[in-house]
Amino acid sequence: MSDTPVKPLSAESTAAAGSLAGGQSEAIGLERIAHICLVVGGLGLAFTLFGLIFGDEYRVGLGALIGATFWFAIAMGMLFLVMLSHLFDAGWSIIIRRHLEHGISVFPWLAAIFFFLFFFSMVYGEGGIIWKWMSESSESIVAGEVSTVGDDLLWHVKQPYLDNFWFIFRNILYFAIFISLAWALRRNSFQQDTDGDPKHSLSSRKWSAYGVIAGALAGSFAALDWMMTLDFHWFSTIYGVWFFATSVRGALAITVLIMLFMVRKGVLAGIFKQAHLHDLGKLTLAFTMFWAYISFSQFFLIYNANIPEVGNWYVMREGLNWQAVGFALLFGYFLFPFLMLLMYRTKINPGLMTFFAIWILCFMLLDIYFNILPSKMDDLGESMYAFIPSFWDLTALVGVGGICAWSYLRSFAAVKPIPVRDPRILESLHHHE
Amino acid sequence: MTTLTDTVPANTALIDEARPADLPRQVLVENDRDFDWITNKICGIVEAKTPTWWWIAFTLSAFVSLFTVFGIIYLVSTGVGVWGLADPVNWGWAIVNFVFWIGIGHAGTLISAILCLLRQKWRTSINRAAEAMTVFAVVCAGIFPLIHVGRMWFAWWLFPIPNSNAIWPNFRSPLLWDVFAVSTYGTVSFLFWYVGMIPDLATIRDRAKTKIRKIAYGIFAMGWRGSNRHWRNYEMTYLLLAGLSTPLVLSVHTVVSFDFAVSLIPGWHTTIFPPYFVAGAIFSGFGMVLTLMLPLRAIYGLHDLITQYHIDCMCKILLATGTMVGYAYMMEFFIAWYGANDFEAFAFVNRAFGPYAWSYWIMISCNVIAPQFFWFKKIRQNPMIVWIVCIFVNIGMWFERFVITVTSLSRDFLPSSWGYYSPTIVDVFTYVGTFGIFMFLFLLFLRFLPLMPMGEIKAVMPQADPHHGKNHH
Repeated sequence: MSDTPVKPLSAESTAAAGSLAGGQSEAIGLERIAHICLVVGGLGLAFTLFGLIFGDEYRVGLGALIGATFWFAIAMGMLFLVMLSHLFDAGWSIIIRRHLEHGISVFPWLAAIFFFLFFFSMVYGEGGIIWKWMSESSESIVAGEVSTVGDDLLWHVKQPYLDNFWFIFRNILYFAIFISLAWALRRNSFQQDTDGDPKHSLSSRKWSAYGVIAGALAGSFAALDWMMTLDFHWFSTIYGVWFFATSVRGALAITVLIMLFMVRKGVLAGIFKQAHLHDLGKLTLAFTMFWAYISFSQFFLIYNANIPEVGNWYVMREGLNWQAVGFALLFGYFLFPFLMLLMYRTKINPGLMTFFAIWILCFMLLDIYFNILPSKMDDLGESMYAFIPSFWDLTALVGVGGICAWSYLRSFAAVKPIPVRDPRILESLHHHE
Repeated sequence: MTTLTDTVPANTALIDEARPADLPRQVLVENDRDFDWITNKICGIVEAKTPTWWWIAFTLSAFVSLFTVFGIIYLVSTGVGVWGLADPVNWGWAIVNFVFWIGIGHAGTLISAILCLLRQKWRTSINRAAEAMTVFAVVCAGIFPLIHVGRMWFAWWLFPIPNSNAIWPNFRSPLLWDVFAVSTYGTVSFLFWYVGMIPDLATIRDRAKTKIRKIAYGIFAMGWRGSNRHWRNYEMTYLLLAGLSTPLVLSVHTVVSFDFAVSLIPGWHTTIFPPYFVAGAIFSGFGMVLTLMLPLRAIYGLHDLITQYHIDCMCKILLATGTMVGYAYMMEFFIAWYGANDFEAFAFVNRAFGPYAWSYWIMISCNVIAPQFFWFKKIRQNPMIVWIVCIFVNIGMWFERFVITVTSLSRDFLPSSWGYYSPTIVDVFTYVGTFGIFMFLFLLFLRFLPLMPMGEIKAVMPQADPHHGKNHH
């Protein structure tokens, strides 16, 4: 590609460039959608707050955690896809990368939501609302007897880790990592649009190299802190990898939806082509298998060993209607999309890919439910809540989602829909099968 | 069926704005070599007079491989007591060596299959040698479980056929799954290697000057004439084999990790084992690829084909997989504490600070610390240092399996049976001999088969692009 002639930038094309940034968003009515998203998001969060105070704070709190984790996972998956794209020096995905860069603008807002949940769980009522270990007086089941966290030997052993101050400190670190990575990668890419300097690509590559390590550690421990410690007796070394797998699946599904939406709106018409969709489909298939591989490894090794202290996590997920959810994940989150995505015709069909993207997002949400909701125990040490989505789950999901969509659209309006000066942009525009 | 193009007009205004910043991609063949040069270079390795160094290396490896042969004869004629195994360490060097060699065998199929699916064009100049390595490493790996079963003439009992007492093998044992996983992997890897070689074998056949050579290469080239139809079938077969091999790359080492992880032994039973073993296998495989390819590059003057860019890519894969392995070590250690299980915590503290601490720290230094040098471009550009780091990687990955196997077994739940496991001279010689077998086979490959896929290298060169030289996209 080095022999590409560089076209002189005429006054005419500069004017067009301006219209393609902010004007583009206005022209296709995205600004209005952005406003609606902000209002809906704000309302959703307000409703969730209402639910937390006037409803069953334990159940609503878990619902809020599910909603926030769902969107966080998608943003984290997008961040990893951006970093991997830089590390592999990928050519085909450049036009897609810009939209992932908009997606990762959400971390500061997510941080605010998560920290609210942390503090709420710590101080509301007697504390320990979402994470029971946050308060010594919370109920804990020890050897089949109802007891308190403060009397739980395991809590005492793990106390250096399960400590409120240290938990907040860790989470500040996680979000600092995600926010700064997103900031640097976005800044480099957007800056390149204006000055066309290849140094930005090289800088992003460096940030990505350090970023995958920092992000892998932050993402893994975030998964441990937010979900694994809900039932702090349980532990699994693969848990961070599971969270990464499900995150990337969610990110890919949202990406497919965004790209097809942008094509329909005319923004990426003739730019996002069948070959891109096919490649996104292949990645979706690959991560479908990867998720199944990781989830199966965890399940199989725990099931096969049959040790009560770790096996209980799955035993709890056989109670109430959770077993059905487990089977739904097996067939719905893995087998069905796996078999269908194997076929070339599925991966190049916008309608089918839209269907599977939505399908995967639904099951990803179910996967997050499966990991969060059953962990709340009743007095018998069994799951307190069955899988019955509540109104408050919806408000949290829509609330956080609305804020994320607004953040995406706000970022979209500010810069061009594709990184026009990226060194590999022509490879991406000319990508074919 | 709806398509992406038939609804909205293309956003040509935006497309016209694309003016890429100048950051050219690395060339895959340096010095603007042409097709003819590549054919002559690669066929030349096979056609030239056998070099003296080859004879020396060949004789030496044949001699070293006798260590394994005599080791096995001595073992079978005397009994397993000639090994260092002593209860509770009933899995010693044999399983360590098995896992080590199987791990080495992972790079070949990874390069051929996964990098093929990911369209990583740089794989072309190293994939053939790596595939050959895979096949030979599986051969070496297979020896150890075979002799470890004791009376190896009954090894066929491992197959799912009822033996003379109508006893079936235990289908619930991952050791049996190993039989299926490894034999499938070996078979598919061999097929992949062979199918890829057919066009090149035909090239050597066509250039052959003696009748015997013509017939021999002719048989293995299977009548390849390079017609359009041949290439179409070939490409399809190659893609299908790549698709089939990809899950195999993951499954083999996953099943190997199950050998440990399905047990209840502290230090073995941990859920991260499957992906951690796969990452480690790729790490060790790439270490061995570079260990072999760097000297070959120097001996045969292949600098234009295995360029600095190739070495960079492989170093980065080593860095990435080495760091993944480091992540797994860290996570295991953390969960051993967080899990609050005394036995688990003991197993890990014992690894790091117990009688085998030396092996643990060798493992950490070689696998996690050594590859970190590849962050620096200057180091990646120095083949000597790269080679030395790769030697460390090879050593480290052997020690990883040693640490896992021996530290957990030597201090089991019954302190009265604790002891210090040491290998005997027979263990050592049997293992060292497998390097002889590996090199013996690799040298034969070097002498008689095309070291690099000529057709594939040519296909990734700019000359193969129909738009080449026309300033056209």
